[in-house]
Amino acid sequence: MFKPKALLLCSIAVLAPGAQADPLPPDATYRPPPTQPFSEVKRMDEQQKAAVMQRQAALLGERYDLADRPLPGVMMSGGRKPVQGGARVKLAAGMSWDRLASLGPEEIRERDLLPQGFRPLPHVKQATGGQVFPQRQIDVIASLEQRDLRRFDVDMDLPDHLTPEFPPPIFLTTHPELGDVSRGQALTLRNFYEIMNGIITPVQMEGLRLLLTPFPQEEFNQTEDRKVAAPSMGVACLDCHTNFHTNAAFHLTPDVRPQSARFRLDTNSLRGLFNQQIHGSKRSLRSVEDFTEFEQRTAYFNGDHVSATRKGVHLPDRPNQVAMMAQMQNIIDFPPAPKLDVTGRLIPEKASAQELAGERIFNGKGRCAECHAAPDFLDNRMHDLKLERFYKVGKTVNDQVALPDGPIKTFTLRGIKDSPPYLHDGRLPTLADTVEFFNLVLGLKLSQEEKDALHAYLLTL
Amino acid sequence: MRSPATLALLAALALPAHAQLGNPGVTDPATAQARPGMPAAGETNVADRLFLKLAAMGNFGEAEAGRLAIARSSDPRVQAFARQMVEDHSATRGKLESLARERGLPAPAMPQPDQVEAKKRLESLSGTAFNTEYLAVQLADDQKTAHLLEWEINAGQDAAVQQLAKETLPVVLEHLRQVQALIAETSGAPPQGLAAASPAMPANRR
Repeated sequence: MFKPKALLLCSIAVLAPGAQADPLPPDATYRPPPTQPFSEVKRMDEQQKAAVMQRQAALLGERYDLADRPLPGVMMSGGRKPVQGGARVKLAAGMSWDRLASLGPEEIRERDLLPQGFRPLPHVKQATGGQVFPQRQIDVIASLEQRDLRRFDVDMDLPDHLTPEFPPPIFLTTHPELGDVSRGQALTLRNFYEIMNGIITPVQMEGLRLLLTPFPQEEFNQTEDRKVAAPSMGVACLDCHTNFHTNAAFHLTPDVRPQSARFRLDTNSLRGLFNQQIHGSKRSLRSVEDFTEFEQRTAYFNGDHVSATRKGVHLPDRPNQVAMMAQMQNIIDFPPAPKLDVTGRLIPEKASAQELAGERIFNGKGRCAECHAAPDFLDNRMHDLKLERFYKVGKTVNDQVALPDGPIKTFTLRGIKDSPPYLHDGRLPTLADTVEFFNLVLGLKLSQEEKDALHAYLLTL
Repeated sequence: MRSPATLALLAALALPAHAQLGNPGVTDPATAQARPGMPAAGETNVADRLFLKLAAMGNFGEAEAGRLAIARSSDPRVQAFARQMVEDHSATRGKLESLARERGLPAPAMPQPDQVEAKKRLESLSGTAFNTEYLAVQLADDQKTAHLLEWEINAGQDAAVQQLAKETLPVVLEHLRQVQALIAETSGAPPQGLAAASPAMPANRR
């Protein structure tokens, strides 16, 4: 169907006065308003969903070996899920990790040899984006709060065995003697008081209540521009950061436009936040208070305050609510690392020869400690790995345009075995993948023995 | 679980090649659909129509500026880049015009207003001043064009128009890299943007 009325629209640019007329389209920054009744959108989304999920499954299958292959005897900190082993990023036929690592960035770029799994990972539906929760979180919230976190347009794309254990354990800095205080439950608005009564302060309790209270979010709200079947009360902070860790829920970075250029954001853990000086992968907010306050503008509404105003924004009161939410987050400890001493170094009597060798590589040839310094294994900085040295940017994959990521916040490596997938967008399924990734990107030329040692060391953190 | 190969096959059967899986919440209600949520071939929305117009104008302006630079620049590196620009933008012009014609839309053979002004400025310059200004104008044009293409890839709904945007974006980003490298070479300033990550390369090796 052709639309002659477009001619009218098109006359605008010709009439635009002045030398500085900008040829960019007028709404490139803002979220477009909805154009269809809710029932119609839902019907189309539901009918499209199978194709969306199949397309993403095909992409993941091309990029990764998604098999369930746990490392024998290595469990996550709560003992509920094994840690997966082996590099899962697929290499081109005839390529080996050592051969790839022997090539320079220019040659890899020119010959298009960078593994697809090392490149930006698209959102399951880039055009729409938004928060996507794993089934276990959806089930818990449905059962305990009768609140629906299921989207009708997309599902979680990663298999359960490549995501963190659920529910993750909770360790408190204020009660090291207790160990995991979660009682094997995911904290919700229904159970938090019973679980935490008597072991946290009134201020922390109020902060926790707020962190568990749902507020309107871009895809979960009452308007026709939502992706949940019934009008929704919204989402809570801990819907992604289950038990202050991560459940591998993801969304799109709120900090980049246009939509096709936004990168996927894997939820990161809140453990050890008390020693973290910058927050947000791109935003570098300088306090957890700033971050907590501003997440209502970002994780909840994609950095679009205009859309937030329409859907019902929650603006927490800085001294009375934000401060309490921050104080609760600041008592979440790392999981135990029994082989580390008080300075974060391996205790030789407790560590294996391979783990000790891995620590030496971590601090030396591997250059890991330059950004991930003990005892917190982060440097409170952002770094640009300049991955675009290795591939030609601008290719569109599943509606996402692959562009340079730029500087990204350093993440802590304490408890790292508990938080797959890795990198800010979750493009690396296992720790073995991260070793191969940094071996290439930093030009380390580690031997297989050295890579294995480094991997063994990472599991002790 | 189905094997990846089976899934890939299913995906291929389910979808027209390269079609975007868009957000039905922002589609034009008058859009004819091939299947639910999937616009029929040639079904443009406002973004597609605006894109075709803006891209045709920007493309025309860049080719025009390139021809001016071939005639006026004394620097062989700038001339080589300008020749590449004329060649690439002439090829794109044909594709844009044919997409617009098939849809009964205009593909204006005129530059953007800011390109008209830039051309006037360039015509008054010569020597190093011309080269510097030409490269500065190309830098801004390539940045804007990349944004326009990225916008269409998401905001459009006509698969053929979006496909042209997807194919063109890497070429425009390569232009951007080249112009960034040329600015560095001719000014002595360190390379910026994409040129910072990978060194300059002759246009014929793309």
